[in-house]
Amino acid sequence: MRRNLTPYTFLLPYLLIFGVFWAWPILYSFYLSFLDTRSFPWAWNPGANWGRILQDATFQDALRNTFLILLIQVPLMLALATALAVALNSRLLKFRPFFRFAFFAPVVVGAVAYSAVFRLIFNTDFGALNSGLKVLGLGPVDWLYTPGPAMAVIILVVTWRWTGYNAIIILAGLQSIPKDIYEAAAIDGATPWQQFLRITLPGIRPVLLFCFVLSIIGTLQLFTEPFLITNSGPGTATMTLGTYLYQQGFRSFNFGYASAIAYTVALLAAVFSLIQLRFFGRD
Amino acid sequence: MVKRWMALGMVAAGLGMAQGNISGEITVWSWDIAAKALQATVPSFNKLYPNVKVNVVDLGNQQVYDKGLSGCAAGGTDLPDVYSVENNEAEVFWARFPNCFTDLNTLAPSANAFKGNFPAFKWTELQVGNKTYAMPWDSGPVVMFYRRDLYQKAGVNPDSIETWDDYIAAGKKIVAATGAKVGVIANGTDDEWFRMLANQNGCFYFSNDAKSVTVNKPGCVSALETVKKLIDAGVVMQGGWNEQIQAFKAGKVATAMFGGWYEGTIRSNAPELEGKWGVFRMPAAKKGGVRAANLGGSALALPASSKNKAAAWAFIRHALATTEGQVTMLKEYGLVPSYLPALKDPYVNAASKYWGGQAIWKTILGTLGDVPQARGTQYFQEARQIMIKVQADYVSGRFKSAKEALDSAAKQISSATGLPIAK
Repeated sequence: MRRNLTPYTFLLPYLLIFGVFWAWPILYSFYLSFLDTRSFPWAWNPGANWGRILQDATFQDALRNTFLILLIQVPLMLALATALAVALNSRLLKFRPFFRFAFFAPVVVGAVAYSAVFRLIFNTDFGALNSGLKVLGLGPVDWLYTPGPAMAVIILVVTWRWTGYNAIIILAGLQSIPKDIYEAAAIDGATPWQQFLRITLPGIRPVLLFCFVLSIIGTLQLFTEPFLITNSGPGTATMTLGTYLYQQGFRSFNFGYASAIAYTVALLAAVFSLIQLRFFGRD
Repeated sequence: MVKRWMALGMVAAGLGMAQGNISGEITVWSWDIAAKALQATVPSFNKLYPNVKVNVVDLGNQQVYDKGLSGCAAGGTDLPDVYSVENNEAEVFWARFPNCFTDLNTLAPSANAFKGNFPAFKWTELQVGNKTYAMPWDSGPVVMFYRRDLYQKAGVNPDSIETWDDYIAAGKKIVAATGAKVGVIANGTDDEWFRMLANQNGCFYFSNDAKSVTVNKPGCVSALETVKKLIDAGVVMQGGWNEQIQAFKAGKVATAMFGGWYEGTIRSNAPELEGKWGVFRMPAAKKGGVRAANLGGSALALPASSKNKAAAWAFIRHALATTEGQVTMLKEYGLVPSYLPALKDPYVNAASKYWGGQAIWKTILGTLGDVPQARGTQYFQEARQIMIKVQADYVSGRFKSAKEALDSAAKQISSATGLPIAK
């Protein structure tokens, strides 16, 4: 009996910390989502948050924006990342390590720093981009204060940041495909395009799936860029589930509703991951 | 027993104040021009209290709010000794964190001693039951700031503008003659024009008892209709705070409608336009209607965690509850006093050189008595976010009528706050 307890005694400090800082907040926020925390004292009222989330127009905007980013940005980014990985893997390319680092670098840069830089680039009056457009004879675009362009900026920035990261992961997948398969295919007369479709893509399928799931979860939690670059605006044009959660939780201090949003996001992430594993994960 | 010791302590503190021998250091959090104005009162404060060192920190408006809320959530850590709060947002603090700020009635002299020195509407959001959490500071009586030269060029006499329909007609003349618009409406980023017009019509997001949603009442419907009429007539442009400043500096707008505190913004941003500006009352919805509203206005609170309450309270009283403090802030930065004795100061009735010799404060403060009451409640920000969206959707034609738009807003605000829609 005592021998069985010994490992748990050693684990106890970890389990305690895990319980207090990880498990408890998660359970507590679930409990919070059933409380009306809009005014003091808090009261049990499940309808206050879960009823509201069903008919909240701002939440629907946030959901729609998040899905829009999901549908446009994730496929675009993964296609780019795959193309980039193939290029980085090519023997024709010189200074490969340098390029690999260059495309990976955006991940290393602090989010606040690069957000500030992008705010400057897209500034309507003094931004580099509008100066460039002017040279081409195109009118200035009010990037950050018009709904469509603001969304385009967010998609662009997120793509800029994560494409290289995904490319590196896909590159690792590419390198696990045996070279002799390509040689055999070349001898059989397969064109490079046929090689890509028949050998490369099936070979990196598990890696692509991994990137896909991670990107979708990442997008569902998207916060930094819309918060720092467009401030969710104009209006709610670039409001995401992440920024709406923040607004409810830490601007309005309505913890119950913020918890309900958080659990909705977690549920969505779980459902999406399950669907993907079901349909694309089978070998 | 404890109470008696506290009372004794307070008397002692009161005596200490009277003798001016309070000492130590206090930190004040504020924003932009308001921070500069508070800084301007420090020299006269230090004449009375030479041993108190005052650090005014300009954090910017949003930062003050965010840091205040998170400080209160953390049980009062890292808060300053004097905290600036907008009246509209004040109730969030008292509702969420009732113990984060000092009840000013427990200090000596008690806040109640100053009650009659401020208009009643300034206290509504600062008091809960018999507790007073903050001292009223400035107010924002709304007026039209206009360019005399551009109006003259278009042959428009501002005295002839009595209603919003008159204003649109005048605006068309001015746009045709000078190319300058007669206003900048923040659409999609704010709803301040809607709030000013609604307040003028005696309507607001919430009822004055803060128990129901009233945003779809007739006064608000008329306000939202006027906003769209102005935009559709092409007499105003759209843009946020910074665009508004750039526009008046560049002469692209001939009028700005804002709370009286915008006087300081115009004067300090465009000193080169001295003598070209004037002020007139905002137009009414109907002939003979109310021509006054309030936008903005703040208060000073004293966090319960302050280690130097005596000095902090002395600073608040000197800045806000003396004519000297209030008139200093008015002179230097155009912060409109709500301290009633300050309105008798000669400066308020004097002609202003920058404003073409007009005694503008007489005009601006003259509207104070006509301002219909409105209550921000603890849900102000929530309602505002919803209204910004609804206004933008209505302007872009996504609702059939202003009533339909505001019915939708009322429903959303009601579900966000749990308050019923008023019948």
